[in-house]
Amino acid sequence: MKSLFWKIFVSFWLALILFAGLTLWITSYYIEKSRSETDTYQLRSNTIEYLKQARDIAQTNDINALRLWLEQLDRRETIPFLLLDENANDLLNRDVSLRLQQHLRRLERRSRHDDDDDEHEYPRPHHRPIIINNQRYRLMPDFSNVTLSRVLNRPRIIATPILLAAIISAIICLLLARYLTAPIGRLRLATQKLAKGDLDQRVSPSMGQRKDEIVELANDFDYMAEQLQALIESHKQLLRDASHELRSPLARLQVALGLARQRGDDKTTKELDRIEREAERLNELIGQLLTLARLDTKTAEVVIEPIELNELLEQIVDNTAYEARAINRDVSIVETVPVTIKGNRLLLSSVLENAIRNAIHYTDENTSVEVSLQNDNEKSDWVAITVRDHGPGIPDHMLTSIFEPFVRVGEARDRQSGGYGLGLAIAKRAVELHGGEITAANQGNGLSIVIRFPIKK
Amino acid sequence: MNRILLADDDVELADMLVEYLDQEGFEVDTVHDGKAALEKSLTENYELIILDVMMPKLNGFDVLRQLRAHSQVPVLMLTARGEDVDNIVGLEIGADDYLAKPCNPRVLVAHMRAILRRSESTTPVSETADILAIGDIELQRGARRVLLNHQPQTMTSTEYRVLEVLLENAGQVVTKQDLSDRALGRELSPYDRSLDMHVSNLRKKLGPLADSEERIKTIRGVGYQYTRP
Repeated sequence: MKSLFWKIFVSFWLALILFAGLTLWITSYYIEKSRSETDTYQLRSNTIEYLKQARDIAQTNDINALRLWLEQLDRRETIPFLLLDENANDLLNRDVSLRLQQHLRRLERRSRHDDDDDEHEYPRPHHRPIIINNQRYRLMPDFSNVTLSRVLNRPRIIATPILLAAIISAIICLLLARYLTAPIGRLRLATQKLAKGDLDQRVSPSMGQRKDEIVELANDFDYMAEQLQALIESHKQLLRDASHELRSPLARLQVALGLARQRGDDKTTKELDRIEREAERLNELIGQLLTLARLDTKTAEVVIEPIELNELLEQIVDNTAYEARAINRDVSIVETVPVTIKGNRLLLSSVLENAIRNAIHYTDENTSVEVSLQNDNEKSDWVAITVRDHGPGIPDHMLTSIFEPFVRVGEARDRQSGGYGLGLAIAKRAVELHGGEITAANQGNGLSIVIRFPIKK
Repeated sequence: MNRILLADDDVELADMLVEYLDQEGFEVDTVHDGKAALEKSLTENYELIILDVMMPKLNGFDVLRQLRAHSQVPVLMLTARGEDVDNIVGLEIGADDYLAKPCNPRVLVAHMRAILRRSESTTPVSETADILAIGDIELQRGARRVLLNHQPQTMTSTEYRVLEVLLENAGQVVTKQDLSDRALGRELSPYDRSLDMHVSNLRKKLGPLADSEERIKTIRGVGYQYTRP
């Protein structure tokens, strides 16, 4: 029974059969028991007891009290007890079977021989009549009327078996549901992690000895994750290799340029300057690409040390403010708290510097970039660094994509800045390497970059 | 003419560099693998060795590690761009400086000159005392030797210069900018960790003071201070 289909089918089927069977068995058991008790001592003593109660009530000559007592008895007992007068009419107007009528007539005939109500006249004490308001009644159990519908109409009798069956089937269904949904939950968790970029997710090993459709799905998931991982890996590898390979010709180009300069031809100085500038740009781009590639591989080894974030931020703001003032802009810290986090100084510096330089570049003339460091409102034990500019902001649909490599908001603006659209991508990888997150939001006029880090105690 | 050994597996690049450095007044020998680099640097007398990290047979780090067991000749590492770890590893095992490759040859020459200046005796003997002794440490300027409890210590020329500047100002804070200018012969760049690595190497080699106080203190955000006992 390996397939999920059969597991579900068979277990539901079995549970239903079990339930129905148990119910039927218990009801029929009750009926059988009632029938077989006809002549048993238990039934007889019960009957004598009921007779005694009826007689006690009859002495008060209150027919209504007797009727009430009879109704209560009827609700309690599986076997209907009828109280019949001489004409075979029940006190509660229930149907009287033919057999019972004959039985009554026989008793009546016998008792007419002598009107004495002495006990000796009745070998069976329960045949003795009850006299109320001078009317003779006889209490008679009607065994032929112990029917299934009568049993079912008395909930107290079958409540126990139904409850029992319900509990048993609840346990079975609970186990079944758990058995079916637990691996789906694991699969779902793995899918979520995969979507977040954790390509190492595999689910098959957690499936144990199972062999059904869910395990097949898990295997397919693993295969998909493997393919995805290989694809992304090869993509990154390509970028890495290409960047590595570009370095050798670039190194030669730079030395060749140096040699050309040494030969000292004044006519070509302008062109050589230009070539040198472009070579530097290429060098810069390759450097950034390699940094990105290195941060992408999980093996990135970085030196982790405690870093006073507020001090680092002050240093960087000091450095960049100098550059900003040269172009009629400013950078200032509007709020700060002393915070120490564990991280790599180089990476954190480049992240903060990148965000601040970006902001300086886009903020309007005669405005200031506002930098703040505070405890995160949303998450306790996190800090948030906000870098806010007073510039044009960016279209809402680009708020997440600006952290992807080579994505730029406006062609013209970035060309003149000499950016490659890699700065924020590198920043994102570096922040994530520290367990943090980086987001962008338009705020009034201007863009806010928020960088959050967990504070590890 | 300064005799230099250039170890780089890119033959074309090495040939062009030889030509370039020749114009700048350096006499350059080239090797193209790590084994040859180690042999040549141990047998011949160079003033500076330029080591590329990525080389066949023996990589630059291994060459440096084995070289340092025998010689304190100044070494400039050429590390791969984007691999910041390499820079730190290189400095840790005793490189005097590093440059990310590809680099502008003018920058390379500037770094080479700075290292060579350090290794040549820059302080004229007449100006300052020949021996600088503070506590358990003694600097013999003429011989460029460091004695700790009268035991000579092995030290690269860069480490020697850093220690010298710190000792000259013992008890006072030397800013990182100042230390970089005077000991490394170049301006401090924003993310440069080389100074920190040289100081860290000095700490490891010299250990704490006799009363287990820290020998070279970090004054956060400012610089370093040699503790005067």
